[in-house]
Amino acid sequence: MRKLMKYELRKTLFSKLILLAVTAVAEAAFLAGVFLKWDNGLGAGISVLMLCAMIGIFYIGIESLLVFHRDLNTKQSYMLFLTPKSSWQILGTKVLENGISIFITGLFFAALAAIDVSVAVLYIGGLQEFLDTVRRVTSMFRFEISVSSGDILIVFFSILSSWLMTITTGYLAIVLAATVLAGKRFSGLASFGLYLLITFGESELIGYLPDLGSLLANSGAVIAAGFALTGLMYGLSCWIMERKLSV
Amino acid sequence: MLECKKITKRYGRKTAVDQVSFAIEPGRIYAMLGPNGSGKTTLMKMAVGLVKPDAGNFFYNGSPVDKNSRREVAYMSTEPYFYSWMTVKDVGRYYADFFEDFSEKRYQELLERMELTSDMRTKTLSSGMMAKLKIAVTMARSAKVYLLDEPLNGIDLLARDEIIASMMEAAAPDVALVISSHLVDELEKIVDTAIFIKQSHLAGVWEVKELQETQGKSVTDKYREIYGHGGEGYEKADEI
Repeated sequence: MRKLMKYELRKTLFSKLILLAVTAVAEAAFLAGVFLKWDNGLGAGISVLMLCAMIGIFYIGIESLLVFHRDLNTKQSYMLFLTPKSSWQILGTKVLENGISIFITGLFFAALAAIDVSVAVLYIGGLQEFLDTVRRVTSMFRFEISVSSGDILIVFFSILSSWLMTITTGYLAIVLAATVLAGKRFSGLASFGLYLLITFGESELIGYLPDLGSLLANSGAVIAAGFALTGLMYGLSCWIMERKLSV
Repeated sequence: MLECKKITKRYGRKTAVDQVSFAIEPGRIYAMLGPNGSGKTTLMKMAVGLVKPDAGNFFYNGSPVDKNSRREVAYMSTEPYFYSWMTVKDVGRYYADFFEDFSEKRYQELLERMELTSDMRTKTLSSGMMAKLKIAVTMARSAKVYLLDEPLNGIDLLARDEIIASMMEAAAPDVALVISSHLVDELEKIVDTAIFIKQSHLAGVWEVKELQETQGKSVTDKYREIYGHGGEGYEKADEI
């Protein structure tokens, strides 16, 4: 699986490098804004850095689906399916790669934000002054956040379960379209249509969950259902790939 | 060794392979012959699991083909399939990463013979160079079965000799080679057995020597007999 992972990461390297390059430019503008008291640079830097973080993480999230679609609908599929690896390993590696990429990208932007705040605090002259500057430059909003560790866990598992469900539903839609349409012209569109259809079915199923009386129990049930549906989507995709999919 | 039993594949209304059965034995070189669209490529792809049959199956040493059989069965596709970002060296690394029987030393030797260099990018290779790269990376494996789909396509005469030589070097008592090609004359010199596929059916399997001794015919003669005028009797052979 380590070998598969190496090549899965390589397939998404180019987009990550582009993201890194744009982030580097935005970071340079931000730092110039901090050191040279250049408000426009600071504003542009912060805006683009925030956009890079949000769009970057979102794109990396869906890039795995785009790569998988290409893997199944072009002759490059032979590179994967001629190896002595099962569909379970191939798809499992893709899920892992996607999770690792999202996690590392998130960690990277969180670390960058922490460094930038520290730099700004040191050079602008205090956190309050930095926040005031940011507020002045970007006319930003005021956040008031109060969370418990239980809330954080629920949010973490909710995000994990919904991400896994989204990605495995996407894989199933792509596998189904590739199996039926076998690389034909509209397989991408068909995959998207199937994805919407399956997602609708999943949300309908989750809607049938009984009310368990408390927010914690209800959230737990939704998270558990998400994991169960993830397992189902993953299992179905692999089974179809092993038995029916021709590339 | 490698056997297909009543294997069938349909694409929509078109039947690409219909109830084909035959067995590949070790120590032999096979020619898989037939015009375009007869089902040769589909058969080879089913042998390595790239295409899933609608009925019947391919078996390797008695078990249905799967990821384990791919450790010992090497397939060379007629289409280019390497990742576009790869160099010739990357292709070798990829095979070394996934196939235990891949020899990087042998790969380097074959690259030199094919006049390819490690730094060449696969997306800029001409069709002839791509064909050479595919054969080099496939023949650098020590597989038990080689399935080579049109290895001589787009190759000039001199390079063709190199490719045929590299294929012959893989021949061994425990190894089988299956080569599909339109160049029947070229194959006749090197193969032991000819498998004829016609209109998705197995038209027949003949030993080259036996064909010459009992019928006084070459593989080329048989090819003309089967696919030319008067070949109507070869629509479907019995199971072999």
